Amino acid sequence: MSRNGGGFDAIVIGAGANGLVTAHYLARAGKRVLVVEQRHAADASADIGWVPDAVIRDLGLAGAGLRIEAPDPWITAPLAAGGTLELSRDIGRSAEAIRRISPADAAQWPEFCQRMRTLAGVLERLYLAPPPDIESNEARELARIAGLGLYVRRLGKQTVIDLARILPMSIAELLDDWFESDVLKGLLGALGVWHLKQGPRSGGTAFNFLHHHAGSPAGVFRPARSNVTQALSGISGVALRRGERAAVLAKNGRASGVVLEKSGEAILAPLVVSSADPRATLQPIAFELDPEFARAVDNIKARGVVARGTLALGSAPAYATLCIAPSLEYLERAYDDAKYGRDSAAPYVEVQRTNARLEVHVQYVPYTDGAANVQRHQALQQRVAQVLGAQPGQLQLRSPDEMDNPTEGHLYHGELTLDQILFMRPVPGWSRYRTPIEGLYLCGSGTHPGGGIPGAAGRNAARAIL
Amino acid sequence: MKRYDAIVIGGGHNGLVTAAYLARAKRSVLVLERRPRVGGAAVTEEIFPGFKFSMFSYVVSLLRPEIIRDLDLPRHGLHILPLESTVTPMENGDYLAAWGDHDETRRELYRHSPRDAEAYDEYGRLMHFMAQAVKPILGMVPPDPTSFAPGDLAALLKLGRHFRGLGAERLHALVKLMTMSSADFLDEWFETDVLKATKSASGIIGTFLGPRSPGTAYVLLHHYMGELDGVFRAWGFAKGGTGAVSEAIASAARGFGAEIRCNAGVSKVAVRNGHATGVVLENGDEIPARTVVSSLDPRRTFLQLLEPDHLPSEFVSDIRRFKFRGSSGKVNLALDALPTFTCMPDAAGGRLHRGAVSISPSLDYVERAYDDAKYGEFSRRPYMDIVFPSMIDPGMAPPGKHVMSIFVQYAPYSLNGGWTDAQREAFGDAVVNTVESFAPGFKSLILHRQVITPLDIERITGLSEGNIFAGELALHQLFFLRPAPGWAKFATPVRGFYQCGSGTHPGGGIMGASGRLAAMRILKDGT
Repeated sequence: MSRNGGGFDAIVIGAGANGLVTAHYLARAGKRVLVVEQRHAADASADIGWVPDAVIRDLGLAGAGLRIEAPDPWITAPLAAGGTLELSRDIGRSAEAIRRISPADAAQWPEFCQRMRTLAGVLERLYLAPPPDIESNEARELARIAGLGLYVRRLGKQTVIDLARILPMSIAELLDDWFESDVLKGLLGALGVWHLKQGPRSGGTAFNFLHHHAGSPAGVFRPARSNVTQALSGISGVALRRGERAAVLAKNGRASGVVLEKSGEAILAPLVVSSADPRATLQPIAFELDPEFARAVDNIKARGVVARGTLALGSAPAYATLCIAPSLEYLERAYDDAKYGRDSAAPYVEVQRTNARLEVHVQYVPYTDGAANVQRHQALQQRVAQVLGAQPGQLQLRSPDEMDNPTEGHLYHGELTLDQILFMRPVPGWSRYRTPIEGLYLCGSGTHPGGGIPGAAGRNAARAIL
Repeated sequence: MKRYDAIVIGGGHNGLVTAAYLARAKRSVLVLERRPRVGGAAVTEEIFPGFKFSMFSYVVSLLRPEIIRDLDLPRHGLHILPLESTVTPMENGDYLAAWGDHDETRRELYRHSPRDAEAYDEYGRLMHFMAQAVKPILGMVPPDPTSFAPGDLAALLKLGRHFRGLGAERLHALVKLMTMSSADFLDEWFETDVLKATKSASGIIGTFLGPRSPGTAYVLLHHYMGELDGVFRAWGFAKGGTGAVSEAIASAARGFGAEIRCNAGVSKVAVRNGHATGVVLENGDEIPARTVVSSLDPRRTFLQLLEPDHLPSEFVSDIRRFKFRGSSGKVNLALDALPTFTCMPDAAGGRLHRGAVSISPSLDYVERAYDDAKYGEFSRRPYMDIVFPSMIDPGMAPPGKHVMSIFVQYAPYSLNGGWTDAQREAFGDAVVNTVESFAPGFKSLILHRQVITPLDIERITGLSEGNIFAGELALHQLFFLRPAPGWAKFATPVRGFYQCGSGTHPGGGIMGASGRLAAMRILKDGT
């Protein structure tokens, strides 16, 4: 059965931040848009990441109840000798706190913060537009690339060298260049391995660190938390259907709409935009794809390693963010387990408090394609509880195996490794949100600039479509 | 005292190549070598009576063909014997073999996976092409991207055009090779674990990285650039060991008029008013020269041969940051007879021993070997590349006896508790015990054993931390960053003082490219 529902111009798959952002941009350009979301209810968890100003401004999110948290201190880490290290939004105050564990590190802190800020600034500029197309022969694109090059060089010699040197480095090498204190390096290094199946000694983790620093002020090395998805859901202008899993309808290289899995109902539209992960979107229509392209899609690395969940404590804790990653070696050993398919015996755990809700990030819990079972789950819950000094019953965790989507439980729809960013994301040569299927676009975290920046990919995609 | 046009510090292969090119251009050249013989890490020594070993570096492949041609090395005794096959024994008693004959290799692969046999040719073509694509970079002086000088801008533009000229698909493959781990890169092509493990091993050689560490795919490519007689990816032995390569280059240099003095260690470069004026020997003698060239690694070149106040402090901290972490060891054995491997009792008619034996049965095996090193231990079950030089060049051992060369990874320079004689022997035991597990009875064939740790490599050859590439081949230490940003063009902050060793672009392996490029730069500067 097929029908052209309400006569939509565009269907967006997924009502996450990126899907909704794309939908609203399209709606503002006069298109009739339907968003199809598989979840029945909106996710209560906070959105983690930098919400670009352009998105807030363009979609009037400030008036739609958007709240961005700016916790101060932004991180709390327990010290082996008792007490905690607390880093504040004020660089000077953080330096004072660091001085108590290492005067040398305290002296380095301000310059480190400035250097990282400059580099993250370069990424921010890259992230708010489609990736540079280095194969293009178009005068406009070449001018844009030249402009980008000029912009970077104007930031000074040190920045050019830092970019070339630091991006491919491991976060461990970068931090070892600057600091001596284990606890400081541990809490910073943790950001370098966020959502990566890599340890802090793996190359490219310094890039991942800077990626997650983008959008934050100097001296704050944890992404912002917000209710951006909730705010987006609150603004009118697009139709939304919940509780329906949708697949792309494609024939003869052209997308014609979506089919709802449960009812088999087809909804037709000339434009389909998927914010679901590229593998989940494209693999079911692989028969429509060039084999080379299909192979590139299959080769997207998206190995989930993060379990997320909530923590219920009797009373609200004193911290806004608690980080258990006491050293780089602790993180590296946690990763070693994941390499061989095991959950970390001593995992990196972070608790994020947003209002009264405590959310937990646990790494590494590798996706094992169904090898999850009750014992493994309980063992993990127990270990995390132990690390936090809580009761296992206070924890609700979901491991990558237990997430129904995305592919391999990778929340970024593709790891942020150097071979999967910019013009290589989601697959080499197809970074402009288009796909080989006419009328089918991608707008999710699997596309440039990737996860941890809610709305950026959605905005870039909408602009590419329009 | 005679004032030379150029003094080259260090008689390793790069120093000798620089000297030969300078002498060929009619400059008066003196090479000063601290040890009794030239070669640096490319030396042949009779460690046990009658048994000769390529003590450190043991295969030749990367030596630039233009150097062989320009210096007419075959006339000076260079003779490369092919090393054709690689056999990887597996823990289940099976093996994976790559033979000299392409069809035979395909049949062997087919036995493990028809899919991989299909992919193998396509993979080979891609790697061949990528090596070709990167090759021009090896022969080019890296431009400085921070400079606005017309020469640098033109070179950058040329580089940009070169890469764009590759076409989209190959450009993407290049980005992947530059950034991925060899395991991830190979995962995109193959499914057979032992194949991936064996191939990935060339991505870890000389690095302090495991096959799953990003950056190793580049080292994989670096080793694909091996080119002998125009045939890509051909490895070979120099007749007489790798020392014969050094001897041939030295002979060519002498032929052009260069002087080579052994047992002549240099303690300092003499600097007056920011200009190098000569060298001071360990015995206190000073020899004047218009130009001084160091083939030592960057740490010794800048932090030992010079006083810190000769150099800008920023440059000094860049050099201090340059990473060396040696990770490889070597075990050289004199054998009573050839060992028999369980996986191939008939040794395929002796072919096994005429090629390499790779102890890399699975990716996890190699990765675990790395895990040990990460935490400061030598690998309990290491990755090994084994060859039997006496099977190819019978002159290396007495009749009926054999020499066996085992390249071992990982042996970290910074071992927990430090390297002691006991630790060295324990490391040697781990090596022979692991071989024994694949070739029972092997231990009883050992007549003599020499175990070389990274600390030994440092002590004997001078390579800092025993790093065989004179500085890690990591992405952030390559091209215009090798050895330091702004100083990748062989010149140094001290006028008249140059660098020409593997610690400069393109670095690593018995390649000689650094030495040649440095000589050309020196000649261009008008020495």
